[in-house]
Amino acid sequence: MDANRLSQGQLVAAIAAIALFIISFLPWFDISGAVTVGGTTIGGSQNFNLWEAENPLDIFLLIVILVALVPAALSLLGDGGDAPMASMATALLAGVGTLLILYQIFDTPGDLGRKVGLFLGLIACAAIAVGGYLSMQEDVGGERY
Amino acid sequence: MGRLSQGQMVAAVGGIVLLVAMWLPWVGISGPSLPSRLGGIDTSTSDNIWKSSSLDVYLVITAVVALLPALMALTDSTEEFSFVSAAALLLGVVAVILVIAFLTVDFPDGGDRKYGAFVGLGGAIVIAVGGFRAMQEEVAGEI
Repeated sequence: MDANRLSQGQLVAAIAAIALFIISFLPWFDISGAVTVGGTTIGGSQNFNLWEAENPLDIFLLIVILVALVPAALSLLGDGGDAPMASMATALLAGVGTLLILYQIFDTPGDLGRKVGLFLGLIACAAIAVGGYLSMQEDVGGERY
Repeated sequence: MGRLSQGQMVAAVGGIVLLVAMWLPWVGISGPSLPSRLGGIDTSTSDNIWKSSSLDVYLVITAVVALLPALMALTDSTEEFSFVSAAALLLGVVAVILVIAFLTVDFPDGGDRKYGAFVGLGGAIVIAVGGFRAMQEEVAGEI
């Protein structure tokens, strides 16, 4: 395995995709509430990671992670055949993913609160999009390998 | 509209179908209904995708990308987007996956699947097929 087989864009997208996968297990949303019983208020909150929240974003971001990782993995294994759509797919899907996370930040579903995972996920997804875009440019410039 | 390829037209039709489907009922919520001798009122309701899932934004983006070549043709724009067909294919395929996931693993508990979800799934499939056909036409230089 030789990391030099990867273009700079592929490397950025792959590292960001691994980061996004790890971040997906951090808390993304929380719900909190309080009840008053006999003058005593009892409050509580529960965190949800990306997979626990009832939200189609989890499946979409899993697709983004796979689309960013598979071309890099194939290149690392020396089986990186011509995949002309891979860079464009990574840039496009991660760009849309960034928009969807941004939308969730401003319009959080239900009564859920925002947690750190949502913001870190936004950064990681944007980094995948940048990596995909760089990779597209490298494909056009023929700088790879 | 004459300069649209067959694939672009198919994708545009899929985009319109998907947009229309988003206002149709996707999730039905069954409520208790009164017997006919008491007025026979049915309290069941249904929600469209705007109210029942955060899939709405993604589906709008997919429909707009599928409609982009048709919108450009309507406005007589000379702008060329070389990646639009591939983007329509890609977003259409992912939309199909997401709608199927919504209908199976992500469906709200206690809800009924309504026809709007299946019309939306059909629209997403048509977008993917149109995008694929448009890509083939671009490669063959038939446009």
